[in-house]
Amino acid sequence: MSRPPHRVVVTGLGLVSSLALDREGTWSAMLEGRDGLGPLTRLALPLEPAQIAGQVAMDPDRHRTLCECMALRALEEALDGFRPDGPPDRFGVFQGAGTSGLPVAEAYLEERLAGRRGRAAEPAFQSPSTVTDALARRLGATGPRGTIMNACSSSLLALGQAWERLAAGELDLAVGGGAEGLCRTTYAGFSCLKAVDPQKCRPFSRDRAGLNLGEGAVQILLEPLDRAQARGAWIYAEVLGYGASMDAHHPTAPHPEGEGAARAMAMALRTGGLAPADVDLVSAHGTATPANDGAECQAIRRALGTAADSVSVTSTKSQFGHTLGVAGAFGAAAAILALRDQAVSPTLRLEAADPACDLDCTALVAKQRVLRAALVNAFAFGGNNVSLALRRWEGR
Amino acid sequence: MIHADDLVITGLGLVLPCGDGLGAAQASLASGRPCFADLAAVLGQGRGAACTAFDPTGIIPPMQLRRLDRPSRFAWGAAHQAFRDAALDPRPLGEGIAVAVGTLTGGSEASEAFMRPYLQRGPEGASPLLFPNSVANAASGHLALAFGLKGPSATFVDRENATFGALDQAVRWLRAGLAEVALVIGTDGLFPLLLDLCRGARLLARQGDPEVGSGRGFLPGEGAQAFVLETRAHATARGARPRATLRALACRSTPDPAEDERHSALAGAVAALGPASLDRRIGGGNGLSRLDALEARLGSSHPGWPAAVHPKRLWGEFGGAGGQLLAAALLEPAGRVLVTAPASSGAQFAALLEGVRL
Repeated sequence: MSRPPHRVVVTGLGLVSSLALDREGTWSAMLEGRDGLGPLTRLALPLEPAQIAGQVAMDPDRHRTLCECMALRALEEALDGFRPDGPPDRFGVFQGAGTSGLPVAEAYLEERLAGRRGRAAEPAFQSPSTVTDALARRLGATGPRGTIMNACSSSLLALGQAWERLAAGELDLAVGGGAEGLCRTTYAGFSCLKAVDPQKCRPFSRDRAGLNLGEGAVQILLEPLDRAQARGAWIYAEVLGYGASMDAHHPTAPHPEGEGAARAMAMALRTGGLAPADVDLVSAHGTATPANDGAECQAIRRALGTAADSVSVTSTKSQFGHTLGVAGAFGAAAAILALRDQAVSPTLRLEAADPACDLDCTALVAKQRVLRAALVNAFAFGGNNVSLALRRWEGR
Repeated sequence: MIHADDLVITGLGLVLPCGDGLGAAQASLASGRPCFADLAAVLGQGRGAACTAFDPTGIIPPMQLRRLDRPSRFAWGAAHQAFRDAALDPRPLGEGIAVAVGTLTGGSEASEAFMRPYLQRGPEGASPLLFPNSVANAASGHLALAFGLKGPSATFVDRENATFGALDQAVRWLRAGLAEVALVIGTDGLFPLLLDLCRGARLLARQGDPEVGSGRGFLPGEGAQAFVLETRAHATARGARPRATLRALACRSTPDPAEDERHSALAGAVAALGPASLDRRIGGGNGLSRLDALEARLGSSHPGWPAAVHPKRLWGEFGGAGGQLLAAALLEPAGRVLVTAPASSGAQFAALLEGVRL
């Protein structure tokens, strides 16, 4: 495979998380080892055993869903005052969604079940593409848009889409990422699958017992390198490529040996022009479910071979819970900031590692180290695997 | 904008309200008779175009059938037909086959079925069998399992033309060499809350069948369309006979959902394709003025074009998120077919197919 003609760099990053409503607040809290998990108050689910969530200190407004509010806030931070100019049909918006407008549908269904008329909301109000459209409006973008719902790998694939079009020279600017709010369907769903830990989750731990759910938004501004340099933009990192695969193994469980995930990582290395030994960091899917973490560590070994022994692995789920559709973008944000600051955020509550997770999973405290390139993983229901390749920006 | 004259469609599979397979679809288009009827109570209260003749016997094993939501069942049926039509055994290719899905309703039927008893009875009412289908990409996961597909996969949910987004993605994977063959699917299934919401928002035609240009509203439909897409070189090497060449695909969007802006976007997408002359035109009119007006304006600014055929008038809105438009373009021999896929907001798509043969 030949390398695409244009190099693509990250020039903006906006974060709305359960730790803070901005990028640097979130990142410094992550490095300090604080977590964003706390009591669930957004939803009243007294019969659910798990009452923990990574909840964002924001609420929807009268005309916008929480996802839209968070996504727009993250976009403003990513833009950081930058007013994109040039042909608007060369600006694209690519978003990953998990639940998106589901809370609106839940509220409507509840009203109908109670025999009330319900708010005859425009079905489009619940459409996942509502967030994509809102971001495009804010940017004045008339170029391509895409809203991907690949469950928990959605936003990472959306970033891959953005990279693809920029690398091909079709766009001058793209926004990729996602937004996700807590809702009853996912709480109840993961709970009845016995995938939720009533305690705070413990990725890669011997006694891990499932995930916690979280919410938030990540928006990442991507540009061709030459344009970013021409306008003197701050460059966080370079996006090298991505890989994607399907397990064809089970509707919800990952392949136990990480076969499909390893293929996605290998494809990311290939499209990114990286050798396994170039990779110093894996921002893992790391959900803390018994099935995922061991399989993912095996997948990392399959993809990186002996180089796996020298990578740092970390899971943002320990800080934010599983943010579903936007989880991949959270992982990407953590990797981008790690490459910028040469520091790996810790995996919290990793007191005793599972022998099946025999990699350096950055237990408990952040680690300063040389980080040249990173892989970001996101896996999903349906056996969907995505891996994104990033490189530290060294000024050339 | 993608000019893709090296890409061909070699397989087509259809599950539609008019019946399964190409013959039923051709007869339906030729007759011009809409497929709307009173719906079974389990699908919702009102009229719609349901796939009542869909017969998965011998295609989907009974054990699996029980675990599938309607969009996944339809997608499986359509994919089965498409692989046969393409004379392609997918299993040996496995990692070389990508799946790109477009859907408006995928996951929603299962979400409603899961949440209804949960809201009424609490956690004891929640079924772990239903929740895995509550994601929009459930169909792609089931297809991967059914046919051993292990390449890249993405599910698009962008309103009425999500399947065109899927087609665009499939083209990119093929071009980049990340897949040898792509299965592009449009799939949707009816469910009660969908009809209830559309009725509440006054989107549905309240009397009679939908008429393009009437502004009276649409009626919902369901179904799936599957397309096997590959490079001409790959098709030639395995001796496959293309049904059509995907000559070009274009998309334009607008920050403003107003009609004028969306019209400009759709017209821009069409202009980017540069169709000098056309033999057929397929449009996305559905009886709702927000889509019909775009089609009407496009037609009136190109008086030399043939009159557009609007499949949603027969098969309903939703039924494949634009996939039904692409399918209709492949049902009659033609030198050059323009397909326009307007949407109520977001991206507007147009595609140009050449050398369509049966």
